[in-house]
Amino acid sequence: MPTTSATGRRAATVEFKHVTKRYDAGAKNTPGAVNDLSMTVPAGKICVLVGPSGCGKTTSLKMVNRLIEPTSGQILIDGVDAATRDVNDLRRTIGYVIQQVGLFPHQTIADNVATVPRLLGWPKQRQVERANELLGFVGLDPVRYRRRYPSQLSGGERQRVGVARALAADPPIMLMDEPFGAVDPIVRERLQNEFLRLQEELAKTILFVTHDIDEAIKMGDLVAVMQVGGLLAQFGPPAEILASPASEFVAQFVGTDRGLKRLSLARVGDLAIRPAITGRDGDPAGPARERIVADPFPYLLLLDGTERPVGWLDQREVPTEGVLKADRAIPMSPLLNRRTTLKDALSILLDADVQAGIVVDRQGKVLGLVTAGMIFDWFREDARDLGPERQVPAEETAAAAVRV
Amino acid sequence: MDWAWIGDHLPQLVSRTGQHLYLTAIALVIGFAISFAIGVAVTRWRAIYVPAAVFAGIVFTIPSIALFAALVPITRLSVLTAEVPLVLYTLVILLRNVVAGFDAVPADVREAADAMGFRRTARLVRVELPLAVPLIIAGLRVASVSTIGLVTITAILGQTLGGLGFFIYEGMNRFFATEIYAGAIPTILLALLVDRLFVVIQRLVTPWAQRVRPLEGTAT
Repeated sequence: MPTTSATGRRAATVEFKHVTKRYDAGAKNTPGAVNDLSMTVPAGKICVLVGPSGCGKTTSLKMVNRLIEPTSGQILIDGVDAATRDVNDLRRTIGYVIQQVGLFPHQTIADNVATVPRLLGWPKQRQVERANELLGFVGLDPVRYRRRYPSQLSGGERQRVGVARALAADPPIMLMDEPFGAVDPIVRERLQNEFLRLQEELAKTILFVTHDIDEAIKMGDLVAVMQVGGLLAQFGPPAEILASPASEFVAQFVGTDRGLKRLSLARVGDLAIRPAITGRDGDPAGPARERIVADPFPYLLLLDGTERPVGWLDQREVPTEGVLKADRAIPMSPLLNRRTTLKDALSILLDADVQAGIVVDRQGKVLGLVTAGMIFDWFREDARDLGPERQVPAEETAAAAVRV
Repeated sequence: MDWAWIGDHLPQLVSRTGQHLYLTAIALVIGFAISFAIGVAVTRWRAIYVPAAVFAGIVFTIPSIALFAALVPITRLSVLTAEVPLVLYTLVILLRNVVAGFDAVPADVREAADAMGFRRTARLVRVELPLAVPLIIAGLRVASVSTIGLVTITAILGQTLGGLGFFIYEGMNRFFATEIYAGAIPTILLALLVDRLFVVIQRLVTPWAQRVRPLEGTAT
């Protein structure tokens, strides 16, 4: 029996073993074929299938819940071949969310959400409780929404109901086919963020299809890049795919700005933040000057009485006697914290008067400095750590992009 | 208008109205049952749709009087002689609407139903049928109005048939206008009434298809 909690942590491993789907050459409007796909999605991870249209990503997804049957090969769910299970029982243990949502227009929101529990024969009262719980979980007030019909909801609300419906019987696996593709970019961003937050609690195994590489990088613990013909071009964590694309196709698909995309995956906390030479407003200037002249970085960071930064002092501006004065300070660029992405950090540095980002903790106290050089060093070392089998030079990628 | 005649014949008017409804209802119920069965079969075996639709279409082109005449040697002047053409004529409308109703079920809704593990029959009954209802009822509205009109022609098959058409037929033979009106006007009213009845039924069974009410403070 599934647990009744919305946040039940149940997940399953999904393993594709030499899965192939072919269509007759003459057949029209067939989905993309899949050619000898082998990969393992560990329990509790989000695996994003990404690629151009016709690459077989949706076909691969639909073979998991057998909306499409493979021509050959096996899909193992926790080691059990999906083909050996009763197809309807199998589907009731796999959540399914699609771009068009596919809510039942003739049923209320609560009835839509309770669809699988109803099919599983849960007692009526438990279905109602479950629907209420899940609507709350996806951010829709059950009292306001449960009696409405899908046509009375906005696109974003419908998509939330779709997610709630897929979660209703607490399935260990979720299949999501461009789930946020039909809503506007602002709502999409919000739904993506909320979904990642929910997944932290849910820890489901999620297969997620998109054609958008940025969405893939953002959502995926693992990314499977597919190319037309149903070939798996590369499979790995997003950082690895960005740092060392396995082929020219992957390099081209992730884009010539893959370096910037990598920067958006890493955060200031990933760097070894260097200590700042600081002085307090009103401190004696002499000792401060000695310290800053000895440091290769030529600016003293001036703090207030609560360790919060107030501005920079050029080492040449620090007097040999008297006290440090805030009125001589150079204004600071926006402050960074450990969660700031390296992309944002670099962007701030490009615009800064003093080429160092000030990293502060939650109380606003100074932790240290980040410089552009540190970001570049991290970038090179990270790429080396990710172990490129074949690093595609950026010029080659750029040339390929121009040809296309 | 000869009001005295009408006053004298009130009981007959009432019973003929009843007969009219009865003849209409039989045609609709049987015609719908056949159309629905074929329509459901079409959801499974698409290939049978065209032959079935062509058959219904050809039957529809046969003049009703000719069809009645052709049936008399086989079924005599019985209710069957009246009902066979009436049923056949409903098919062309009902079959097309039943099929259109099932076709109108959005592909994503059907796919979602499959993906959630509906068995075939459950999907048909609980997802596809409710969504087909608006078009099916639209078909029933047209078929009922056309059948109510056609029932009057069955009066040529004898005095035991024809519903309100009995008065029209008899009034024509006697050149008696009042009797023609006494048959025709209630027939028209009956058609309008039955049409409205289906509209009301549709509203009751498809609350989800009503015009969307504006809702206050809808958050995304």
